[in-house]
Amino acid sequence: MTAPPDKKPVRYEIAASTIRVDRAMQQFIKVGGISIVTAVFAIFIFILWQILPLFAAPKVEEDAAWSVPPGPHAAMGVDEWSALAFFLDREGELTFFRIENGAIHRQRLPLPDGERMTASRYHPKRQDIIVGTDQGKVLFVHLNYRASFLDGARRVEADVDASPALLVGAPGHAVLDVDMDGAGGQKIAAVIQDIDGRRTLTAALVSQRRTLIGGGAWRVTKQIDLTEQLAEPPRKALLNERADSVLVLTAGSKIQYFLRTGDELNLVQTFEPFPPESGEILADAEYLFGDDSLVCWSERGANVIFSLFNQPGKGRIFGKTKTFPALEGGVTGYAKSVRNKAFLLTGPKRASLRFATTEAIRWEHDVPYALQGGFIGPKYDSVWLLDVANRLHRLAVHDPHPESSIRAFFGKIWYEGAAEPKYEWQSTGGADEFEPKLSMVPLLIGTLKGTLYAMLFSVPLALLAALYTSQFAHPNFKRFVKPIMEIMASLPSVILGFLAALWLAPLVEQRVPSFMLLILALPLSSVVFGALWNRMPYSIRKHIRQGYEFIFIVPLLAIAAYAAWKLGPLIESMFFVARDLSTGQPVADFRLWWVQTTGLPFEQRNSLVVGLMMGFAVIPIIFTIAEDSLSNVPPSFRSASLALGASRWQTAIRVILPTASAGIFSAIMIGFGRAVGETMIVLMATGNTPIMDFNIFSGMRTLSANIAVELPEAPHHSTLYRALFLGAMLLFLMTFFVNTLAELLRHHLREKYKAI
Amino acid sequence: MKLPHHKLGDTRPAGETGVWLTSMGLSIGLFMVLALLGLILVNGIRVFWPKPVIRIELVPGSASIQRDQLIVGGIISSTRDRMIPQESGKAVEREWHIQVGNKDAYGQSFRYIAIDDAASTEFPIDAIVIERMEYGHAVGLPVALALPNGDRLEAGADDFDAALSRALIEVRKHRKELLKIEKKQIGRINHAMTRLRLAPGKLATPEGIEQQAALQAAYEKLAAEAARLRAELANGQLIIRLFTGEERGIPLGQVVHVHYPNRMTVREKVAFFLHGIRAFVADEPREANTEGGIFPAIFGTFVMTLLMSLAVMPFGILAAIYLREYARQGWFTRSVRISVNNLAGVPSIVFGVFGLGFFVYFTGGSIDQLFFSNALPTPTFGTGGILWAALTLALMTVPVVIVSTEEALAAVPRGTREGSLALGASKWQTIYRIVLPAAAPGIMTGLVLAMARGAGEVAPLMLVGVVKLAPTLPIDDLFPFIHLDRKFMHLGFHIYDLGFQSPDSDAARPMVFATTLFLIALVVVLNLGAIIIRERLRRKYATGAF
Repeated sequence: MTAPPDKKPVRYEIAASTIRVDRAMQQFIKVGGISIVTAVFAIFIFILWQILPLFAAPKVEEDAAWSVPPGPHAAMGVDEWSALAFFLDREGELTFFRIENGAIHRQRLPLPDGERMTASRYHPKRQDIIVGTDQGKVLFVHLNYRASFLDGARRVEADVDASPALLVGAPGHAVLDVDMDGAGGQKIAAVIQDIDGRRTLTAALVSQRRTLIGGGAWRVTKQIDLTEQLAEPPRKALLNERADSVLVLTAGSKIQYFLRTGDELNLVQTFEPFPPESGEILADAEYLFGDDSLVCWSERGANVIFSLFNQPGKGRIFGKTKTFPALEGGVTGYAKSVRNKAFLLTGPKRASLRFATTEAIRWEHDVPYALQGGFIGPKYDSVWLLDVANRLHRLAVHDPHPESSIRAFFGKIWYEGAAEPKYEWQSTGGADEFEPKLSMVPLLIGTLKGTLYAMLFSVPLALLAALYTSQFAHPNFKRFVKPIMEIMASLPSVILGFLAALWLAPLVEQRVPSFMLLILALPLSSVVFGALWNRMPYSIRKHIRQGYEFIFIVPLLAIAAYAAWKLGPLIESMFFVARDLSTGQPVADFRLWWVQTTGLPFEQRNSLVVGLMMGFAVIPIIFTIAEDSLSNVPPSFRSASLALGASRWQTAIRVILPTASAGIFSAIMIGFGRAVGETMIVLMATGNTPIMDFNIFSGMRTLSANIAVELPEAPHHSTLYRALFLGAMLLFLMTFFVNTLAELLRHHLREKYKAI
Repeated sequence: MKLPHHKLGDTRPAGETGVWLTSMGLSIGLFMVLALLGLILVNGIRVFWPKPVIRIELVPGSASIQRDQLIVGGIISSTRDRMIPQESGKAVEREWHIQVGNKDAYGQSFRYIAIDDAASTEFPIDAIVIERMEYGHAVGLPVALALPNGDRLEAGADDFDAALSRALIEVRKHRKELLKIEKKQIGRINHAMTRLRLAPGKLATPEGIEQQAALQAAYEKLAAEAARLRAELANGQLIIRLFTGEERGIPLGQVVHVHYPNRMTVREKVAFFLHGIRAFVADEPREANTEGGIFPAIFGTFVMTLLMSLAVMPFGILAAIYLREYARQGWFTRSVRISVNNLAGVPSIVFGVFGLGFFVYFTGGSIDQLFFSNALPTPTFGTGGILWAALTLALMTVPVVIVSTEEALAAVPRGTREGSLALGASKWQTIYRIVLPAAAPGIMTGLVLAMARGAGEVAPLMLVGVVKLAPTLPIDDLFPFIHLDRKFMHLGFHIYDLGFQSPDSDAARPMVFATTLFLIALVVVLNLGAIIIRERLRRKYATGAF
């Protein structure tokens, strides 16, 4: 007897290296596999990370404070590098305060000899101080900030350039309020004076004499006394940079708007920002950056914005566009940003940073000191608050995307100059004062519009083809039909887009009636032919084998198509006669007819073209998936139905189609997903105008094309950049949602078949 | 009661009308694909086939006359119907699209001439078409050849053609030399200069200064040589008479190719056709991409697709192996699978957005800060480039590879695996030696499909580094040979750019069709390849079951 071996024979042993390799590969594959799957989801996370700052609240935190010369101050501000603040006192003395070391430099404004400053106004955009004197003179003083670099460190210096004093209004009478504004060689000025107990308002047109070596002396070309036209005594005049209007705040609560035409100033509007019944009394009003909107506030802190826009029958006048919540404790000070539409309201104990475009309060807080006033840093990176103890507090503002909010992207916004609140996309404009319009709604509508027309064309066609291929066609044909459809699916969309724009669009433009007839004639002729054919005796019918119909129908379709093509112009001359605008003659032209009859535009690159070409991209996708799910219905269903005497059509429609309906629905969903995200075709085959209608003969701008158009030009991390990421996120979510739905349906279907 | 008598086949099955309707769907679908392919094929091929030169005398007073010139001559590029709306329907007017050429003389190279406006037409047998380096084609009748050595040869002379082709061979040689100097050698010096400048502190050392001086001297020598060649190229002229009567001399150095379309035999036409295709595929573009070839675009597409495949293959296959062979099949893998499937449906532009944000700005920006801080603020990797484009497309196509690899792995019969394991192979050995080889054709299919998708995709590339004209190729003979940071040209973007951004759309149109044909051929060949591999695979498993 031999004892059983106490160890396994050598041949059962596995080489240590094999086990090591196996373990290592197992770990490697696990790590690699999991990381690729994670990476795939990182896309979502990354895009989300890029758009989150759009919705982040601004960070406003006090980072320093200094004791500054005591007030009261008529004006204050800082240079764009936040290095040298200035304060103008009521006597006309300018104090520069160096932020880094508190050094003080005083300078008197160069007023005419023996005259005192009695009124002033500060324009932060161009850093001009307008001064009125006790003798009725007006001058403007430019604060000239210069930066020099020494050993890499920046040093900011300032001096003042003053214009000679101009005489506006009655000489010898003190100026109670003054303003002067305008760009280039044309300015407008206004002064309020008290002449023998009567408050007068005089406006003056001021121009610069042109000389060979640039601008010459300023002179008053015309004076206009507006006092007679005022409803109440004036208290404040507001002028704008275009130098085309004078706004007068009256002693009551009214604002009067004088518009300049040539040398004349005409009263066009008198309005009350706060109607008497509201119980609010107008405290003051100031322009917003861009001089198109007027921020008005009441003594109790109510805050509204009036903007210039065209009102029916009244022309371009002021109307209320925005209402902000009241600032608790009332408003004592106002300052505007010179970079965007933000403004700062200060009350005795509270400060509020608001953004006009989105009607949003960016930041509002009680401060632990009593406030005198404040201003916004020229780069919109700081807010400066001065308390009554003459300490200047600097609050660092980190608010890179003030113009963004949920409402800006998805809600209606009343933009400056617009007659009503609108959804609008227009990301860039010519001027600094431009308000970026970033509504996603027109883009979503455009996306849906393109998708809708593509689906209208492709779904019926693809489903008919899938039904025929899977149920009726001879099985031999499947072998070449499916590869052809797959090749169709793989056609690069840039090719389809190029054909759509340069070949199809000009063709469709000339032949709309033919195309419409074609869409009608093809199905109609096949139905009619099918019905007639079925009436034929069997001896004739047997000549077309079942499963070969799609070949025999080709000549019929060709004839129908040719007839439709040729009949199109005839139809056009019968029904679509319009008047040629240049000659006045009637002409048969669908294009003109459409524009004249419906009032809607007709563009060469329109939704019809996009629908047809995008159909190309979508048909094979819907076809393949629908055909698969129809073919995968268990053959026993079909056999049973046929055995019970149902015809092949009845079997297909009543048995196969309902069974595969989930799969067909998922095919349509996936086709929808493809159409939603298609970029090149819409980019090339439409005009890419963000409009909001479903007119088949106009174009659209889709989310995807919008990204392709704008993202290459968008500065990194700008609001536009992030807004485009938001657009990408919407696309991602839309397709992900639709595809998941489709996938779940398909999965459900597979389980169902498995059970059978 | 008498039952109805039915003869065989006399019944009429219900719903046959519907069957015919569905058959229409398939017919139209197939027709659309074939018509589209046919349209591109015909238009693409036509570009290279020589077209006749026509001389038209216009009816005095007709609308086609420009600048009181009754004679128009040029290549018939195409004909079209123009519809003129009238009350009784649209009148159709047939027009020739004539490439009059000689843009330097006429200021335009294409005109539409209504066929009804022609009083008489002829096809001058001697008409010559000269392809030039600048200003497009010149079309006219040859007058004389002024050779560089001062000889003049009249067009009627016996050895005119021979002398012209000899002179052109000489010109071509010079041009090649010039190109070599300007692109290759001077490019190399520039490259060395840039490297020297970017090396920190190198320029301050005496050695650096010396190197710079040497490079400068070498550059000047080459520049002088280039100037000499250029002067030589300016010698000699081909004098032609335009159809409008005026005589013009075309410097031989400008001539790329000449042919006499009206007297070509079929053989010559075929030769011209083949030559045209060869030049189109192998040459650099000229004249804002509207003339010359598309070689850089082909090369760029090729390199980008290759890089993409290199990136997508290991990751896609790894993920698929994990999902199919290692991960426990449960709700997690199922949801992962659904998500991966979905990701294949996420719009390509979203991947472009991600590529721009993540690869270009985030990763590229960080690389620049770490390794190329000398060159900042000019970005090296922090701007679009071929690497980022390839990675972006790899991410886009990875679901395609995962899905098809998974399918291929699932198709490997269970018995094969079990047999291997039963024989004592480890799991990895089974996968590596048994499963993967069996699934290889399926994996290949996925990869080829991914390549086809990557080669044809344009939208994401527009965001991550494709350009209309790249001065250099992404691979060349300068260290480090493969320049992953370079921008590149791409066939798909070439089509977009030519069709939509070109200043002369008439001149660009043939190029767009030719490029389209090339791209479609590429994509169709890749797809057919994938389909054939798949069919083979199916047959293999159909017969090779256990």
